Amino acid sequence: MIKDLMGFVLRAVVVLSGTALATFVLLWHAPGDPAQAIAMARFDALLTEDVIDQVREEAGLNAGFWTAFRAWVGPLLTLDFGRSAVTGRAVWPDLLVAIRYMLPLALAGLAIGLAISLSLAIVAVKRPGGWLDRFAIAIASLGTAIPAYWLGLLLILLFAVHLAWLPAMGARTPEHVILPALTLGLGVAASLTRIIRSGILEARGQSFLPAIRRRGVSSRGIDRDHIAPHAAIPVVTVFGLELAFLLEGVVMVEVIFGRPGLGTFLVTAIHARDFPQVQAVIVLTALMFVTVNLLIDVVYRVIDPRIGARDA
Amino acid sequence: MLSVSGLHAVRAGRTILHPTSLDIAPGERIGLVGASGSGKSTLGHVLIDELRSRGCRVAHVCQSPDEALDPLRSMRFHWHEAERALGLELGAIDKNTLFTSLKIADGDLRKRPWGWSRGMQQRFVIAMALISSPDLIVLDEPSSALDPVVAAATMDLLDQHLEGKETAMILITHDLGLAARRVSKLMVMETGRIVEQAPTEKILQHPQTRAARSLVAHRSWIKLPC
Ligand SMILES: Nc1ncnc2c1ncn2[C@@H]1O[C@H](COP(=O)(O)OP(=O)(O)OP(=O)(O)O)[C@@H](O)[C@H]1O
Ligand SMILES: [Mg+2]
Repeated sequence: MIKDLMGFVLRAVVVLSGTALATFVLLWHAPGDPAQAIAMARFDALLTEDVIDQVREEAGLNAGFWTAFRAWVGPLLTLDFGRSAVTGRAVWPDLLVAIRYMLPLALAGLAIGLAISLSLAIVAVKRPGGWLDRFAIAIASLGTAIPAYWLGLLLILLFAVHLAWLPAMGARTPEHVILPALTLGLGVAASLTRIIRSGILEARGQSFLPAIRRRGVSSRGIDRDHIAPHAAIPVVTVFGLELAFLLEGVVMVEVIFGRPGLGTFLVTAIHARDFPQVQAVIVLTALMFVTVNLLIDVVYRVIDPRIGARDA
Repeated sequence: MLSVSGLHAVRAGRTILHPTSLDIAPGERIGLVGASGSGKSTLGHVLIDELRSRGCRVAHVCQSPDEALDPLRSMRFHWHEAERALGLELGAIDKNTLFTSLKIADGDLRKRPWGWSRGMQQRFVIAMALISSPDLIVLDEPSSALDPVVAAATMDLLDQHLEGKETAMILITHDLGLAARRVSKLMVMETGRIVEQAPTEKILQHPQTRAARSLVAHRSWIKLPC
């Protein structure tokens, strides 16, 4: 247990410092002049060389890579994300606002994705190979093939423009979350449906099921107590990947629907070469992944302790 | 009297059990023997399924505990599930006596099957089959995962438990020695058919068919202790 925990902390440190360093290198060496981008974002106009030079000096871009990296990482170790190179405001409060917009969208997307994929998979396995099953697989394949931005535009066209049922752009009312969440959810559902479906089919082939049935256990009981846990294992396994997919989707969907949020925050920051902001998002995302993977590990061991026992 | 007829099984397009009829008297002990692959387990399965669909109370002990227990579920869960399936209140059965006599009282019920030895799992499955007093209990090579001493003790316990009850028993085994001591009637199977059935003594001394002769000829079974 203690060994597991230490392993986890070690892994977290490696992943976090690795991503921090990698993004810093990428940003630093990206083509174009960061000072110019920052100055453009700051003053929103074409600028003279000496203004740009002044910005370069202020933003610490003259100091060389390692000095700049240290100047950023140092405060981060005390959980200080620093100040925006463009506005000079502290990064954390603005980031928090972005997260507050992003979170309901991501959760709603995940919930919709789970609800759709679960019902689709359960309907599909009623009769494997039947037309409902084929229909579900076809929908899932279609869902994986359609990119999020295209699906988002289709939904906007249908529900916002033609039918005028739902608002499309912005995030003023709770209703504004419906279309973006649906876009996200359909994407999640597409990939999860197959996994849940094949998980259930595989679980049904377990050799001990006939004996349990012969003991007089109802088929509902078998579905709930034996099929579901076995089918959950592959789903839990891919959940980390699914989350990566979700986060990528959130960035895209926020931009398409003109919603404030983490994605919009990130894209604006990258355009402006706002190092502290970009870095804050990346580190936070990495932290989220590390945490989610830890949770997955825990859930995994709760469902199937053989996994923990084998490692030890 | 439990009478079934027309039991058969087809798997992967092959008939692995030809139409078979059985009459089982209350309290009767029948041994089902035959070479490996002759269809003993299959007959046990379809018999149980048929009787269950008629509403008889039947219990089945699988050939291997891997086929009986879900590796993701604790032993306690399996026990409660079996109780619930029989319509009993949780904990209605005094499992301690049963577990003590099957020598699994020190097994940790919170563990999953793979936390127990195979022999212990097998005895746990036997204990589950004894929760209620079924009309028929089918034991598919109950001693295959047990050492000879525990096997004999387990069979003794079964005898004791079924003593004076109406429960009939079908004992599937390769082990004619085991069958000789425990059952009054033997049925010999070959390639999906019951080819010979008679009182145990009679088959052991005067086997009629080739299948029975080859089983009996192998050793002088009657002298074995269990
Ligand atoms: N699901 C299945 N699909 C195809 N063939 C099967 C299946 N189950 C059993 N069989 C075949 O049916 C025959 C009888 O199998 P069964 O398990 O009843 O034999 P058995 O007498 O119990 O053998 P053993 O003593 O080894 O347990 C075997 O030839 C086996 O290959
Ligand atoms: Mg068998």
